[in-house]
Amino acid sequence: MIRFDHVNKLYPGGHHAIKDVSFHLKKGEMGFLTGHSGAGKSTLLKLIALLEKPTNGQIFINGHSLARVKKRQIPLVRRDIGIIFQDHRLLTDRSVLDNVALPLVIEGYSHKEIKRRVSAALDKVGLLNKINHYPMQLSGGEQQRVGIARAIVNKPPILLADEPTGNLDPELSVEILKLFEEFNRVDVAVLIATHDLGLIARMKYRTLTLRKGQMINDGLLQHDRGELL
Amino acid sequence: MSLLFKDRPDANSLKPKLPLSGKIRAFFTNHLRHSVAALGDLWRTPIASLMTMAVLGLSLSLPAALYVLQKNAVAVSSAWQNAAEISLFLRQDLSPEVQRAFSHRIGLHPEVESVRLVSPEQGLDDFKVQSGFGDALAYLDRNPLPAVVVVLPTEENRGPREARALLDKLESAREVDMGKMDIDWLERLDAIIALIQDSFGALATLLLVSVVLIVGNTIRLAILSRKEEIEVMKLVGATDGFIQRPFLYAGLWYGIVGAMISWVAISLIIWWLTDAISYLSGLYQSSFQLMGINLAEALFLLFLSSFLGLCGAYISVKRHIALIEPA
Repeated sequence: MIRFDHVNKLYPGGHHAIKDVSFHLKKGEMGFLTGHSGAGKSTLLKLIALLEKPTNGQIFINGHSLARVKKRQIPLVRRDIGIIFQDHRLLTDRSVLDNVALPLVIEGYSHKEIKRRVSAALDKVGLLNKINHYPMQLSGGEQQRVGIARAIVNKPPILLADEPTGNLDPELSVEILKLFEEFNRVDVAVLIATHDLGLIARMKYRTLTLRKGQMINDGLLQHDRGELL
Repeated sequence: MSLLFKDRPDANSLKPKLPLSGKIRAFFTNHLRHSVAALGDLWRTPIASLMTMAVLGLSLSLPAALYVLQKNAVAVSSAWQNAAEISLFLRQDLSPEVQRAFSHRIGLHPEVESVRLVSPEQGLDDFKVQSGFGDALAYLDRNPLPAVVVVLPTEENRGPREARALLDKLESAREVDMGKMDIDWLERLDAIIALIQDSFGALATLLLVSVVLIVGNTIRLAILSRKEEIEVMKLVGATDGFIQRPFLYAGLWYGIVGAMISWVAISLIIWWLTDAISYLSGLYQSSFQLMGINLAEALFLLFLSSFLGLCGAYISVKRHIALIEPA
């Protein structure tokens, strides 16, 4: 589903954020992306979402090379990818309903369909009773769940999350990860960037570890190798 | 349809297929909805929006007022074209029969619309009435006035240059002592009108450009103040076209309301001036009426202003929405 083929990313100024990274996350696979801050986790996710362009190497989604995507097609590609951010990126002046509905409004869904899908997405994250609240009235965990509902409301085949549990206590983190597992079960490819190693170790999922831009581990992270190499 | 996932359903695959008429209707209801939504956005900051609209309205009022002035000046000057009347003073030694024959001959020129012969006696009577020297004139032992032929040139020959040429031609006749025409006055009036028209063009251009710039800058500020929202919209797959739409409608609304304000301002000015103008024209024994803006001109103002608003907004969104990229 997501395939990196010898991808490099050099920022102007010489910072080599991604060095020769290759991996393949298959359809319906769930994986963690880990490493110290500054290791290149966020950059890797940005490359998938076309927020950055690789300096060289190829990235394929569902067999299509992202290098072939024209500038005006970028929004269409992003509609296939649900993205979750550590800081939620919710619009504070709009209700939960309007926030979650945003991807559907952009795609031009009918009013009825929007209402139906938003309710379904909020029900899945357990916030249907908060549909008319504003983000500021919600707790951190609830705001993160609204962000997740927005990412999944148009049922994208790919879900990316950048430190989704960064600001949450362990219990809430587990809850959020259980949500991701649920989406993964319906064949959504999920890639979660996190530095919460304890969490990863419990979950027994494929883990891609980055250090200074290089992929130094691809596979299960052993419990006893919990600290980064 | 999804670009990377051919089988993935999207909004369009869910919608029932509409016939052409339904599509057209959907297109218009869609735009109507967006335009009303944009108006709602403006209404959320009523003072700021109204200030911008008022600035636009006043910027438009100035060229519109100049236009009205120009229109009225042209009307006034065309009403006074009889000023191009030519008076031919005949030699004193001609008999009334010769005067009449001469007057008739002048009337046959193709450049001449009509002629009127004023005999010395008639001239004296007129002078008595108009000058108020009636009693004093009784002391004259003989009528000093010559016979006058008053010539009104045809429409095409009333301009300053044409009338001058005609005067030169008629003056050369043997019966004429001298010809006279108040041509300097006419030339000056024409020059003034030309000046008004020219300055109207230059000023209007400047002010219309300023309308585009004002709207462009206002929209730029609106875009920057919603930077975060635009970033999020781009992140979840909004096209530039989708993000632009409310801003373009805002520009359109600025233009429309600005035109209305300027129309109200002009109407107020005309209403304010009407009394003064009718008093002034009364002094000139004229029934001159100040002309306002008619329906066609008001519609033109509306279209021009909306177009300029849209232009300003378009320039602004093209520049600034592309610059905002989510990071």
